[in-house]
Amino acid sequence: MLFLSQAIGRPVRDQNGDPIGKVADLIVAVGERYPPVTGLVIATDGRQIFLPWTSVESLDVSGAKLRTSILDITKFAQRPDEILLRADLMDKQIVDVDGRRVVRVNDISLDEVEGSVRLVAVDVGAAGLLRRLGIEGPFRTLGRNLKVPLPERYIDWEDVDPVESSIASVKLRVPHGALAELHPADLASIIDQLAPKDRAGVLASLDDEAVADAIEEMEPDTQVEVLEDLHPERAADILEEMSPDDAADLVADLSDVARDEILALMEKDEAAEVKELLAYPEDSAGGIMTTEVVAVPATLTAEQTIDRLRDLEPDAETIYYVYVVDTDERLVGVLSLRDLIVAKAATPISDVMIKEPVAVGVLADKDEVAQVVARYNLLAVPVVDDEGRLEGIVTVDDTLDAFLPTSWKRRLPRPFSRSSR
Amino acid sequence: MSQPAPAAAAKRRPIIRRLPGRRARFAASLAVLGPGIVSGFADNDAGGITTYSLAGAKFGYDLLWVILVTQIALFVTQEIGARIGLATGQGLTGLIRERFGVRWAAFAALTMIAANLGSTVSEFAGISAALSLFGVPVAVSSALAAIAVITLISRGSFSRVQYFFVGIGVLVSAAYIVSAILAHPDWPRAANSLFIPHGTFNGAYMLAVVGTVGTTITPWGQGFIQAYVVDKRLRAEDLRAERIDVLIGVAITNVIAAFIVIAVAATLWTTGQRDIQDASAAAAALKPLAGDVASTMFAIGLLAASLLGLGVVPLASAYTACEAFGWEQGVDWRWREAPAFYGLLAFFILFAAVFLLIPGLPLIQVMFSAQVINGLLLPVILVFVMRLAGDKRLMGELVSGRINLALGWTVTGLLILMSIVLVVTAFSG
Repeated sequence: MLFLSQAIGRPVRDQNGDPIGKVADLIVAVGERYPPVTGLVIATDGRQIFLPWTSVESLDVSGAKLRTSILDITKFAQRPDEILLRADLMDKQIVDVDGRRVVRVNDISLDEVEGSVRLVAVDVGAAGLLRRLGIEGPFRTLGRNLKVPLPERYIDWEDVDPVESSIASVKLRVPHGALAELHPADLASIIDQLAPKDRAGVLASLDDEAVADAIEEMEPDTQVEVLEDLHPERAADILEEMSPDDAADLVADLSDVARDEILALMEKDEAAEVKELLAYPEDSAGGIMTTEVVAVPATLTAEQTIDRLRDLEPDAETIYYVYVVDTDERLVGVLSLRDLIVAKAATPISDVMIKEPVAVGVLADKDEVAQVVARYNLLAVPVVDDEGRLEGIVTVDDTLDAFLPTSWKRRLPRPFSRSSR
Repeated sequence: MSQPAPAAAAKRRPIIRRLPGRRARFAASLAVLGPGIVSGFADNDAGGITTYSLAGAKFGYDLLWVILVTQIALFVTQEIGARIGLATGQGLTGLIRERFGVRWAAFAALTMIAANLGSTVSEFAGISAALSLFGVPVAVSSALAAIAVITLISRGSFSRVQYFFVGIGVLVSAAYIVSAILAHPDWPRAANSLFIPHGTFNGAYMLAVVGTVGTTITPWGQGFIQAYVVDKRLRAEDLRAERIDVLIGVAITNVIAAFIVIAVAATLWTTGQRDIQDASAAAAALKPLAGDVASTMFAIGLLAASLLGLGVVPLASAYTACEAFGWEQGVDWRWREAPAFYGLLAFFILFAAVFLLIPGLPLIQVMFSAQVINGLLLPVILVFVMRLAGDKRLMGELVSGRINLALGWTVTGLLILMSIVLVVTAFSG
């Protein structure tokens, strides 16, 4: 194993052992799990010359040894899938996908894998930082005597996602594949840590649904920032993917002009739902409810209801409760998924449903809604208007917000919150 | 799924703008007071008031030219800082790390920490000096200051109270202006000194020059404007507006600083009280307006200015250092997630609080010395700033033009020269 910092600046000798320059940089071809080293950049006589890796016999802490004594002084031209380890990666910001953090590269770890020297990990720990500063030795001794090991932290290259503006010369389109696999909450946390410029690339690489899920997990301030940076068409597409209550909360924070423009770009149905939710006060049941609710007529049988659920499922936020309405859309009962499944196929649901279910009015305070949910141990509570018509549901996760303290972030001067970098 | 083509993305209109209502209300009011204006006000902190007072008492109107020159230099450096923020969307020490490597970044971060440690001590000394006017012993006041700053930062209430401090700052500044006018200063002499350097060159004079520069153009202020521009998510097309904002901030600082010097010159200097030893002597400059309550007014002004500085400087320092080393930064991390950040924050506050416990510490001198240290360390940071500003690859279309670069390097060169002269005169005695 070799750290890049241990090789940089070391002498390069030709096959006769004569020094011809110093190691300036290494080139790797990205794409594989562990990118192989494909070339060596040598600093000699104030110039930089490039050698393909096939001409290099060995590279270690004592320097590089070449197989040849003839130097081809062709100028190095970077191919699209190649990066210079020192110039492009050292000291730059990367996303640690596994740790869900944005960190800086302190050093780069190379090792022999499958017969070739490859980039295997980046060092983001204190040990790497001290090594770069040239004071690792004294600290190691100190740590040994105090029996406190130096904190080391490495990130496997597989878990590294580049931050684009930081690694400017990475011309290849960054796939951000690893990010797409993350849980939306983790993705939100990473996007939050990225500088605004870097968010664009990440967002462009993800599909609308992934972005929508991540946005739902963000702080309101960040939500608006992220939306600001998107093309209005894309912003509208993403809002359509969000649940209407979250979309409405977000749209409510936009200026009138922007709100009208975005709503006009959205599909008619989705825009109508959002507009409807916008009419309610923010802290009322109507303000936190979602309109995506499973409602079925009382005339169905259990089997017909289950068929209906199979059709609706992709869109609805929760299907643990099935609400039963009359012909005027008035809420008359509720079925749990369990009731539905244990009922015989031909049983009318009006026989198994709970009649006159607990419900809250659209203008009920959100604290009151939370109390109802807690008292009756509900996963969701239906919201009805003055006439008793089913308008939506408030799910238990949305009521939790009422009890959680506002995070520090929103109360602090912005230059010091995490998202600024 | 529709992804905008690159060309369309480049031409997109920034149509979605934040609504100044509900959650964003504070941000919106800050948008009126842009980063230039905020940092302009923060320049007139405890160290600023003290340094201008000392300069006015010792040299009368002679140093007014330094204030004018410093303000021009401040405009140049702040404009460049804002521009780097606009172009790169990154903080200062992070950029230094990327462009010059880890050793230079460590050097820059340590320089910042040293300068900011001085500033933090200075703010603590300001609080103690202010409270000493009410007879509060230093040990008590430094403990109170530590509690106050920890509460402000940890409870997250700083963003709410900072307007209160800025408000008091405005009132006290106005008090200096009125006091200056009521004291019947020598206006022709003041005007003359503003444009033509006066006075005899010696060690003390040089020290006052460096202190005045150091309290106005600060290493942390340079990092602050850049971080603020980034955080406000300003874009390249906002450059014009940002210049105006910086200009207004600089003008405010300039006018207030000049009037403090004039007020002190017209009162203390004219009557021969040329050495300010404690806060009560400095407060005498407000007597033409406030009479017997001059002390109280001065104390309140100093207290507000110190607290405003304390809400910003330790945070900014911890932030800067963590940015350079890639450590988690910001108060929305937990203690265990960001030990370096909170450790630094605690170190700053404890160091300053304990430092003040040294018996018989001359508070006014401590504040002044901190500004001199800031002035001496400033060129280090400015060299980095200027090199970044001239980097075409980094700055793109916002790269500093020839005139801009020449101005910036002239300022940096003058500051380096000034620091060398000070060190040489100090050693040659």
